[in-house]
Amino acid sequence: MSLYNVLFTSLPVIAMGVFDQDVSARFCLKYPMLYQEGPQNLLFRWSRLLGWMLHGVGSAVIIFFLTIASLKHQAFRKDGEVIDLSILGATAYTCVVWAVNMQMAITVNYFTLIQHICIWSGIFLWYLFLIIYGAITPSFSTTFFMVFSEALGGAPAYWVVTLLVAVAALIPYFTLAVVKTWFFPDYHNKIQWLQHAAKHADPEEELGVVLRQFSVRSTGVGVSARRDAKLVRTNSKVIHADSSSQSQATVELT
Amino acid sequence: MNSGDAAGSSSGGSGDAGAPRRASRKPKYSKFTQQELPACKPILTPKWVISVFLLVGVIFVPIGVASLLASNKVVEIVDRYDDACVPSNVTNKLAYIQNSTISKTCRRTLKVPKDMKQPIFVYYQLNNFYQNHRRYVKSRNDQQLRDASKANETTLCDPEKTRDGMAIVPCGLIAWSTFNDTYTFQHNTNNLSIDKTDISWKSDRDHKFGSDVFPKNFQKGPLIGGKTLNESIPLSEQEDLIVWMRTAALPTFRKLYGRIYVDLKENDTITVTLDNNYNTYSFDGKKSLVLSTSTWLGGKNDFLGLAYLTVGGLCFFLAFAFTLLYLIKPRKLGDNNYLSWNRNSAGH
Repeated sequence: MSLYNVLFTSLPVIAMGVFDQDVSARFCLKYPMLYQEGPQNLLFRWSRLLGWMLHGVGSAVIIFFLTIASLKHQAFRKDGEVIDLSILGATAYTCVVWAVNMQMAITVNYFTLIQHICIWSGIFLWYLFLIIYGAITPSFSTTFFMVFSEALGGAPAYWVVTLLVAVAALIPYFTLAVVKTWFFPDYHNKIQWLQHAAKHADPEEELGVVLRQFSVRSTGVGVSARRDAKLVRTNSKVIHADSSSQSQATVELT
Repeated sequence: MNSGDAAGSSSGGSGDAGAPRRASRKPKYSKFTQQELPACKPILTPKWVISVFLLVGVIFVPIGVASLLASNKVVEIVDRYDDACVPSNVTNKLAYIQNSTISKTCRRTLKVPKDMKQPIFVYYQLNNFYQNHRRYVKSRNDQQLRDASKANETTLCDPEKTRDGMAIVPCGLIAWSTFNDTYTFQHNTNNLSIDKTDISWKSDRDHKFGSDVFPKNFQKGPLIGGKTLNESIPLSEQEDLIVWMRTAALPTFRKLYGRIYVDLKENDTITVTLDNNYNTYSFDGKKSLVLSTSTWLGGKNDFLGLAYLTVGGLCFFLAFAFTLLYLIKPRKLGDNNYLSWNRNSAGH
């Protein structure tokens, strides 16, 4: 099952990393304040990373316990069969594949054909894998032999549980994403709203003025900051030498 | 100096062998490399968010109701018998169960709570039995089970590999611990027949257990773990063994014992004559007999229906809450004063 990390979740993640654009190139040039998300360390803060890790753990907990509680010791098919280790495992695995791919679909900001292909084919490939791997002789596939074609495919409980668990695992993230972009938007979220609004009207004029003013305020890092600080120090020395007897208080710059 | 040539090379066109031209390093323009593919940029507008939550709620609540109805339709009789079937004067239950000279026959009476339509499934349920323990699950040899020529393959079957120098077929702890309680039923003083065919998965019978593999040297040691097998029946027909060897996922599990093809009416009496052979006393396990009907969703489990109703209800609540927040929204989407770093640095 190490195939999981390689195949079923890597493709959408790579596609997202390479092709995702949160703000289009045109708007990026227009609002240089976006650059501040880097020096301000807004995107790779520890709190954000830990938040994502916590989300992963939380989703895993939801998937695990919901799957187990739904498929307990009772029969899961009309013919009275009960679950075993491979059936429970395959069901949980299916829920994880759905949850991860749908998570990608929610997170991605820029949906091209490639994202669509990666996400939907990720899910489709999982079912294909189940069928093909299950068709290989049991000396190789052992407990997964025909687990989908015989046991799971025709069991309505399997599909019902998959739908429940995948959606339940995504609701927390979706809700948080909505709250974040509505009430605590990052700068690039605001630009996204602008992009969206720009399709209907052209309100960027007034906002553009305001944003440009922010763009020229003094920064705290980088070459321009060092240059500004040096200027301030030089100016203070000049004033000091010039009028040492006069207002000492005004010299207290910095 | 050649403007025509310069234009030709700056457009990044295909090379042509002709007049000498300035080599252009500009890559060929394509929408893919410039990341300008046609795309939709989904954004979480209020319209979308609220309709998504409403949609989920609208889909989930009926499914939850249907699942709950299906679960309520299932009629189930569960009867725990491992404590009641040991005579009250026995203090050492372990010694009692291991003593093969004492008769372990026990009679139980079950009352049918509601009409049960055939087929009625008979299960035995074990509690606190970890068939999913890693060492236990590995303790089998699939090649030996499938192929008569591989009878001496006993790798991974420790400690039930060989006895007196000869290989055990089927080897391993799973086979060694096969459940061996038996049940016979009487319905209102008539004998009730149980169909014990086809209780295992067809793929197991056809592909995993050979039709030419016979038990050999089985349960011959000092410690008998469970069922003894008839050495003249091939493994593909030993359905109790096949059912048992499909290891359960959780410590509380049921396994199919047989099916009853007779309708049972409410308040009927079922008398069960059972042999209380299996030792669950050394690890605080419990044994129960279960009779159950089934629906399209399977057996009785209210959790699925309740979970669907909970998630659906939660989505309706979130849709309602977001609608309220959108209507009373405290700030315009796009107001810069609320940027986090601007809030801290007041003067600029």
